Amino acid sequence: MIAELVLATLFGLLLLGIHRKLIARIQRRPGPPVWQEILHMLKFSFKTTWIPNTASPTLFVGVVLIAIGIWTAAFYVLVSGGSLLVILGIYMLHKIVEHGFGLSSGSPYGKYGGVRSVISAASEIPLFVSVAVIGVYSHSLDLSSIIQYQQVSGPLLFTAFPVACAMFLVILSKMPFGPFSIVESKELVSGYKTEHFGIWRAGLEVCNGLKTYVLLAVFLTVFIGPLTLPWLLAGMIILIVLLAFSCAITPMMSPFDSVTIQMMVTGMMLVYAAIVLVVVHP
Amino acid sequence: MADFIGGLPYYILEFGDELVYFTPYTITLFLLALAFTLLAIISRPERQMDIAFGGDAYRTKDISISEMRFRRFMAIACGLASMGAMVTGDIFNFTLFTAMVGITNVGIVAAVKSPHVQDAAYQYGLVALSATVPLFAGAAVYAAATGSLSMIELMKGTLPAVPLVAKAMLVTGVVGEGMAPFYAAKAEMFRAPGAPYVIMCSLSSLLIFLRVVEVVMLG
Repeated sequence: MIAELVLATLFGLLLLGIHRKLIARIQRRPGPPVWQEILHMLKFSFKTTWIPNTASPTLFVGVVLIAIGIWTAAFYVLVSGGSLLVILGIYMLHKIVEHGFGLSSGSPYGKYGGVRSVISAASEIPLFVSVAVIGVYSHSLDLSSIIQYQQVSGPLLFTAFPVACAMFLVILSKMPFGPFSIVESKELVSGYKTEHFGIWRAGLEVCNGLKTYVLLAVFLTVFIGPLTLPWLLAGMIILIVLLAFSCAITPMMSPFDSVTIQMMVTGMMLVYAAIVLVVVHP
Repeated sequence: MADFIGGLPYYILEFGDELVYFTPYTITLFLLALAFTLLAIISRPERQMDIAFGGDAYRTKDISISEMRFRRFMAIACGLASMGAMVTGDIFNFTLFTAMVGITNVGIVAAVKSPHVQDAAYQYGLVALSATVPLFAGAAVYAAATGSLSMIELMKGTLPAVPLVAKAMLVTGVVGEGMAPFYAAKAEMFRAPGAPYVIMCSLSSLLIFLRVVEVVMLG
């Protein structure tokens, strides 16, 4: 389990590196090498570390451990074919981690990053609707049951395409340099993670790598079905290419616009869910 | 066998019709509430920096000991209410814990000596107060329609179907007690100093929302 966890984290970081490189190339910049995020994590691990004077020390350190802990739990749920609802819960609780990162330092940049994280909770609501529709089709929220359903009835990507689009948007909202990345926009320096450096930032990088791996793997598992490891990794690379294109060609929105668009998607998903409930599966 | 949406339970503690159960889903949420409550107990608040607009001046917002004690007490109460709401197997108990989360959230922020934050806390208090009506009415309709408030009984599928209006009322109540758009848009509350306590507000709101998703999918 530990070996898988380490490999998943490193592959997640590699995916983030590919994401960054692709965005740079689309924008006609050379960009960093694809392993830059792994180097970042290693570099921060050995840098001098301290806790700012203004910080709440226990919380400042505690949120880093919680961030790694929740995504490790999500990875375990994914590997064991557990409930999609648990992964959904962990995904949403990541908001609290971001809020904790931002507020615990006492920095105004971190604080506003954390506040933006909380107000953009709207981006998670399409996820609820998506999960509900998946439950209607597969009659279960266990990943193993969803896989079995797809073996019999074909990939949910085709059966419930709007749900896949909504889930893609949810993942997009968590990607760096994307249209919804208001929590770490440049006017806030690095947003909620501004004051976390050294080993704390390395911990955050580990969390980001694991989070990327888990989210992409869950997407493929839920919408494509059972995949062997090479196909799973290839699918994740294809997904990251799509995400990179989406991020590279769209500007970062203002917090208001970001939340408005996410709420509109939520509205559309609610209508779709109602249609599925009333017409398709009454 | 009941269809446990959050996974099969590890442990069920029965008190007659009422019970507490730990599924992978509820235990994840419970442990998160526990971890943040422990953090609220042992953490000291940060000294939040404020930059004066249009200049280089800055100052720190310090929290007095008496304010810190009160807010810590409220944060612990909020954590306990959240933990209760996460593992209870009874709809009425869930609504009680949710209402307590709303009250303690107001308490956490209302102690901040800033007019902006107190205004936000007051407005939120009004919303939370109003939200108790659909919250408890939802539980009442559950009982009236199915004859039971036990989540395990609802999962078994042997009871009459829960009316959609009951589920809608329950969700409306939870939304009013702690979730967007009534709460998350109130940035004044979230940027108030005292990170370990303010985080309990957002955590508890999110947790009760996550739990109600499971609750409305039963029956």
